[in-house]
Amino acid sequence: MSVLSSINKNIRDRLAGRGATVTAHAVADERLVEDLRSALAPDRVRMDSVGRSLHAKDASVFKGGVAGPTCYPTSTAEVQAIMRISHHHGRAIVPRGAGTGLAGGAIPLGAPVVIAMTKMNEILEVDIDNRVAWVEPGVVNLDLTRYLTPMGFHFAPDPSSQQVCTIGGNVANNSGGPHCLAYGVTNAHVQAMEVVLPDGSVTMLGGLDAEPAGLDLRGVFIGSEGTLGITTKVAVAITKNRPAVKTLLLSFDSVSDAANTVSGIIAAGIVPAALEVMDHKITVAVENYVNAGYPRDAAAVLLAEVDGMEAGIAIDAGRIEEIGLANGATDVRTAKDDEERALLWKGRKTAFGAIAQLAPDYYLHDTVVPRSELANVLVKVYEIADRHDLVVMNVFHAGDGNLHPLLLFDARDEGVMDRVHAAGGEIVQASLDAGGVLSGEHGVGVEKQGYMGKLFSDDDMDHQDRLRKAFDPTCRANPGKVIPIGHSCADIQALRRVPTGVWG
Amino acid sequence: MDLKLDDDELNTCVQCGLCLPHCPTFRVTGDESMSPRGRIHLMREVQLHNAPVTPEVVSSFETCVQCRGCEPACPSSVPYGHLMERTRETLADEGIMTPRWQRLGMKPLAHPKLLATGTKFLSVAQRLNLVPKRLGISAEVPFRQAPLEVSGTDVLMFTGCVMDAWQRDVHQAGQTVLEAAGFGVTPTGDLAPCCGALHAHAGLANDTRSLATSMMAALSQAHFADVPIVVDSAGCGAQMKDYGHLLGTAEAEAFSSRVFDISEFLADHLDKLPRGTPIAERVAIQDPCHLRHVQRVHLATRKVLEVFVDDLVELDDDGLCCGAGGAYSIMQPVLAGQIRDRKVEAIDAKSPDLVASSNPGCSMHLGAAGVPTVHPMELVARAIAG
Repeated sequence: MSVLSSINKNIRDRLAGRGATVTAHAVADERLVEDLRSALAPDRVRMDSVGRSLHAKDASVFKGGVAGPTCYPTSTAEVQAIMRISHHHGRAIVPRGAGTGLAGGAIPLGAPVVIAMTKMNEILEVDIDNRVAWVEPGVVNLDLTRYLTPMGFHFAPDPSSQQVCTIGGNVANNSGGPHCLAYGVTNAHVQAMEVVLPDGSVTMLGGLDAEPAGLDLRGVFIGSEGTLGITTKVAVAITKNRPAVKTLLLSFDSVSDAANTVSGIIAAGIVPAALEVMDHKITVAVENYVNAGYPRDAAAVLLAEVDGMEAGIAIDAGRIEEIGLANGATDVRTAKDDEERALLWKGRKTAFGAIAQLAPDYYLHDTVVPRSELANVLVKVYEIADRHDLVVMNVFHAGDGNLHPLLLFDARDEGVMDRVHAAGGEIVQASLDAGGVLSGEHGVGVEKQGYMGKLFSDDDMDHQDRLRKAFDPTCRANPGKVIPIGHSCADIQALRRVPTGVWG
Repeated sequence: MDLKLDDDELNTCVQCGLCLPHCPTFRVTGDESMSPRGRIHLMREVQLHNAPVTPEVVSSFETCVQCRGCEPACPSSVPYGHLMERTRETLADEGIMTPRWQRLGMKPLAHPKLLATGTKFLSVAQRLNLVPKRLGISAEVPFRQAPLEVSGTDVLMFTGCVMDAWQRDVHQAGQTVLEAAGFGVTPTGDLAPCCGALHAHAGLANDTRSLATSMMAALSQAHFADVPIVVDSAGCGAQMKDYGHLLGTAEAEAFSSRVFDISEFLADHLDKLPRGTPIAERVAIQDPCHLRHVQRVHLATRKVLEVFVDDLVELDDDGLCCGAGGAYSIMQPVLAGQIRDRKVEAIDAKSPDLVASSNPGCSMHLGAAGVPTVHPMELVARAIAG
């Protein structure tokens, strides 16, 4: 008997002993669960109310997900079996990594089978000569880097959630991170993938050669948010650690000065490893948590990191300081050692979580604008929030022009969600008006679906839908995401499959 | 069901998930219901949305080690430990958690004579091979121990329940070190039989509060007023430092401020200690969770040991729990074993001769897996004796 089921039996006896009722949930599709259990193992298919309730959510604000049974596969063959069984029962599937997505990509719609990849978390092989590592998708991003550290390597994409998010989730969302400015986002660091398609077949996309033959289907798959299938093995490129690193912290009297500095640095031809801006409110919240020495009185701070050969980065650091001062920097400080650098980054990377000090809920946006437009769009973002009587904080990957306005609120306040969504819509519109795009790295999920029409024509979206259907003809992989539902009738069918209330 | 949790405390969690990798049960299961985020979600569902308390809900709460490794990882400072203790308290009051046989099993902790007698029985039983291995009692429980002698009243040394009955030699080492630094020591012995940590973990809040109250009365008598209380068990120290929160009185706050972990105390008096002969073996530091995540004074252990150990190494597992968790290793042996496997792997990677840990639960749990554990004070005492 498994750990969980033996524990549960014990508790069930206890509850029964005192006359408590154990609710047996109505299960419409017992045969589906039965089939899944016989293909995996009884304790790796959950269908109780706790499992469904927990897997109905991710880290986003979206509610209303309804999960079917949750499976924890441990091999490619098991993922295939889940796909085949779900297909046979006419059920959709939704893949899930660590559940840290902010666009609702892992929110189950239409009571799909949830495929939790957390147990497929082996680092299979590291090939230093060819600078590639084969990993399972449930490997935690930072665990991979920690594993590679003694060998002098790391995995370059470093989302803020890197201590918890999985490589599979990074592939699904084509994740970025502070250091993707110089090194590129996930797409640039995945060479090949073994994927299981919605019909249960397995195929390899990409390859280890520098120029794999044929169309770049690997590129199509990366960032497809679980709508094309599920990765079961990933060959990631590993990056050699640089011999020297310098981290500068610049303080400013206005967010615009910080934004203009960023623009100036890039225009000067410098490619720093990272350029991150935080405004006053978020800096204070972060400093309360990490005590890294972030200035509590600056209107904005810019964290700039350069890496490479000692002599080269000294020159770049000097030029960044000059450009900062020319744009009104009030203070420029260099992290004195690795410890201080780590603390500064810890602050930046936990910024989103730190805001509960200020409000119980937040809605984090993720748009990209041309760097030269950063200052203008930021002014508009503050205006919009002001108009809707909301507090906004800005923390962003400035070097990429990737904005992350955070709207703070308390969901218990009546009518506040309407204001949050209205302000969000205007922020997205302002970014698009400035020549930007919908999402930098969080994906479209359910969050940005409604905005797709603002960026793409109907024709564009029809083509995207046809490409998707080449992988998933019946739209059973993560239905109701990315492409607006009106553009995909098969999606609607997948979502209507289960009578409401069954999995409630 | 009203779990009697503070709504504002519950709402400090924004479900970001940064706690997940720091949770030992999530690490070994990959199951959201065995993560702090998942457990808080279920607390909310039960308290705010009237979700039924199903066996799965109870098991999610019961499988928590209460290591509180999630707390330092949480950027929103969710008071997870207190939420979990309160949840267990409510469920224990309702008769859903901590059944009567468990409560009975805890009785001897507060009764030194009963514990001493029980220990003698256990000791004999061990020698007759009647104690099942899975109980995880690795070391031989002593049949008879020499009493600790009072040498002055500069510091009170809290001796506690099981540790005093089974590991008095560690207290002896601690006392020797304190005396070497020039402090006269009063071991608390029967004055303060138990700190109540295990009771608090099991949701038996009334027992915890009464143990706390009687200990405070005994150790705050006039001739002990303001005398620092030094604790060599991380779990006990964490509990005693929490009395202020537990009882919510100014006296309790004042009492808690007198409590120090023994390394924390000695780190400020290192100059008074003779250097002796440094320990030659390679020693790995294993931080007990309640020292690192709750008391957050684990750096003091390094400050002290650096002086007496030449080859001191750190583990690379980010301070993840070993799975001991007070009585957890007995209540949840399978999960506790899986969590320990990870720890043993991290230890093996550094190939130490000895592993220094300042919590009796951790050292017994690791010892049962063949890890050679030692209390930091035993190392210091050895070095000083040189």
